[in-house]
Amino acid sequence: MGNIMFKKILIANRGEIAVRIIRTCRDMGIATVALYEAADRGSLHVRLADECVLLESAQGYLDTAAILKIAQATGAEAIHPGYGFLAENIEFIAACQQTGIVFIGPPLAVMLAQHSKIEVLDRVQAAGFPTVQYSTGTFAVTDSDTIRAAADRLGYPVVIKSTRGGRGRGAYTAQSAGQIDRALRRAQIEAQIVYGSTDFYLEKLITPAHMIGVQVLADHQGQVVHLGEREGSLTRGNQKMMEEAPAPCLSAEQREQLWQTAVAIVRLIGFRGVGTIEFMGDLDGHFGFTEIKPRIQIEHAVTEMISSVDLVREQIRLAAGEALSFTQAEVRLQGHAISCRITAQDPWRHYMPSPGTLRRVRLPTGHGVRVDTYAYSGCEVPAQYDPIIAKVIAWGPDRSECVRRLQRALSEIALIGVATTLPIQQLIAHHPEFLQAEYNTDSLRRDMPEDALPEHHARDLAIAAAIAYARRNLAGQPSVPDRLQSGWHRTSRRLPE
Amino acid sequence: MSKVEVTLGGHTFEIEINLNQRGDHDLPVMVNGQAMLVTVPDLDAPIDQMEWIIVDQRPHEIVIDPDLRWLRDHTGVHFVEVRDLEARVARPVSRDGRIKAPIPGQIKTVLAVEGDRVEAGQPLFILEAMKMENEIHAPKSGVVSQIRVQPGQDVLLREVLAEIS
Repeated sequence: MGNIMFKKILIANRGEIAVRIIRTCRDMGIATVALYEAADRGSLHVRLADECVLLESAQGYLDTAAILKIAQATGAEAIHPGYGFLAENIEFIAACQQTGIVFIGPPLAVMLAQHSKIEVLDRVQAAGFPTVQYSTGTFAVTDSDTIRAAADRLGYPVVIKSTRGGRGRGAYTAQSAGQIDRALRRAQIEAQIVYGSTDFYLEKLITPAHMIGVQVLADHQGQVVHLGEREGSLTRGNQKMMEEAPAPCLSAEQREQLWQTAVAIVRLIGFRGVGTIEFMGDLDGHFGFTEIKPRIQIEHAVTEMISSVDLVREQIRLAAGEALSFTQAEVRLQGHAISCRITAQDPWRHYMPSPGTLRRVRLPTGHGVRVDTYAYSGCEVPAQYDPIIAKVIAWGPDRSECVRRLQRALSEIALIGVATTLPIQQLIAHHPEFLQAEYNTDSLRRDMPEDALPEHHARDLAIAAAIAYARRNLAGQPSVPDRLQSGWHRTSRRLPE
Repeated sequence: MSKVEVTLGGHTFEIEINLNQRGDHDLPVMVNGQAMLVTVPDLDAPIDQMEWIIVDQRPHEIVIDPDLRWLRDHTGVHFVEVRDLEARVARPVSRDGRIKAPIPGQIKTVLAVEGDRVEAGQPLFILEAMKMENEIHAPKSGVVSQIRVQPGQDVLLREVLAEIS
C-alpha cells in the first residue's frame, strides 16, 4: 500500500451516508462511483456522483462479487462501505484485499482480530479494564436451553445481541425468563435481515444507563488519538434518536478516564483506522466497555462539529497508508454539538415505517447548523432500506446555545409527505429534562408534559387547525380516516411507546 | 360552514369558518363569537400538511399532522384536539373484516391459514419494510375466510392481505 492518494473511490452504500462520503471525496478532488438498486434510481447519491452503476441482482447493495467487478471496471482504487451493508463483512474485506482494492476501514487482520465481540470483551477484561457483564461463549439461536441457563447465571434483564450486531439492530431485551423465547425469535429474524448471521451472546442490561462512545483514530505508524466522546442515551427500541458531544453526564475526571481507557483499548487490540470505543454506565457513573465499532457511525457529525476534523477524510487518508495529520496535543474540542436522527417512522403508529414521496422539503441552514440528508423535494423514501432520512446537527459554544440553535433548526425543517420522528425530537428538544441535561436510556419511556401557550398564540394555532380541518373536509379528505368518527377527535397526548 | 371546538396549549376555542365567504387571500373567522379576518395566502393551493396564515400581523407557518393529532410551529410541537360541533352522531367503526397492508413492503411470514379462528389483536402476518419487521394483527375476532398473499410477496399500500368473517 503506497502513500499515493486515491483518484477514484467507489461508494458501496446509499442514502445520507453515501451523499456525505461523496461530499468529502469532492472536497479532496477524488472522483466517485455510486451504486444503486432500481428503487434508488432517482436518489441523491446517484445524482451527485461522477459515475453511477446499477446493481441488477437481487442482492443489490450486498452483492459483493458485482460490486468488486464494478470497482475494477470503473478503475476505482478503493471502496468506502459507509455504515451497515458491507462495513463489517469479513468475506468482503478479504475479497477486496485479493482483488487489490483498498477497503476504507480497518485492515483485514485488524477486523479479524476484533470480529468476535466476546473475544474482545475477554481481552479487555483480562487487561484489567472494566467491561459490562456478559455470557461466556456464543450461542446458535436453536440453543434456547443453553441461552436460558446463561441468562439465569447473568441475571435479568439481559440483552440478546448478535455477534455481528451494530446500529442497535439484532439486539433484543428480555426482562425475565418468560421473555427469552420471544426476544430470541425477534433477534434472530432481525439479525438475518440485517446481517445475514444468527450467532448470539448475552449482555447484562444496565437500566437506566448512559451510552458513551469515544471517537478514536489510529494510523499504521502506531499513533493513536481520540476526539472526545459522544453520548447517545436517548434511544427508542435500541435506536439512538439524539446524540451529543461532549456527554453531559460525565465529570471532567470521568471524561478523562474514559478517553484514556479508549486509547488503551485501541493499543491493546491493535485497532487501526477510524472507530468508536463504546461504554455503558449506570447512573452512579460506573462505566464498562461494551464493544468496538470499526466504522463511521451515524452520529459521527457531532464529533466533527466540535473537533473540526472531517472523519471520512481521515478514514480515506488512513486507508491510503498516510499517517495521522495531527497529534493528540493538536486536537481542540470546542463547544457543544447535538444531532437528531430523523427517520421515516410514525411515532403515533408504533413507529411503523413510513416510506413514500417527500412532496415538500425545506432544510434549516444558518450559522452552526448542519444537515446530512438525501432528501429533496419530490424524492422517494423507498421501503426497502433503513428509514434514516436526515440528521440535523446544531453546534453552539456551550450546551445552552447549542440547544436553542437546535430548537430553531428543528422548527425550520419541513419534511412533507411521509411521517417522520421529527415531532418527537422537537418535543425532546423542549423537554425540561433535556434542557437540564438530565436524561438516560429510560427518559423516552415517559410522557411528554403538557405545553402551556400564551392565549393569543394558542388562538392563532387553533384557527390554523380549524382551517385545515375545514379545508380537508371540503376536499373530501377528512382528517379522521379510518377510526371512530365521533364528535371528538381522538387525542394523542400520551406518547406511544 | 364548519364549526369546531379546538383545544390546544391549555386553551379551548370555538371557531366558525365559512370557506364560501372568502376573499382572494382573506377568510372571515369567528373565534368565541368574535369576528376576525385571517390572511390565508395559500387558500387555493392543494391540501397539504403545511398551513400558512397571518393573524393580526403575526405570521404562522404550521405543519399539521395528517390526522390532526399535533401541529408544529416555531415554538415547538403542540398536541391538538378538534371537536366537530356539527358531527352529532358517532358513526361506528367499519365492520369491514378486510386486512389491508398499512405500508408497502414484503410479506415475510403468514401466521394463519384459511379457516383458522383468530382473536382480535392476534398477529397474522409479518411484513418487512425499511429493514424492520412489523406484525399485522387481526382487527377483530372471527374466521379467516381468505388469505390473498404468500411469504416473499411484495405488497402495495392498502393491498388486501386477508379477510376475516
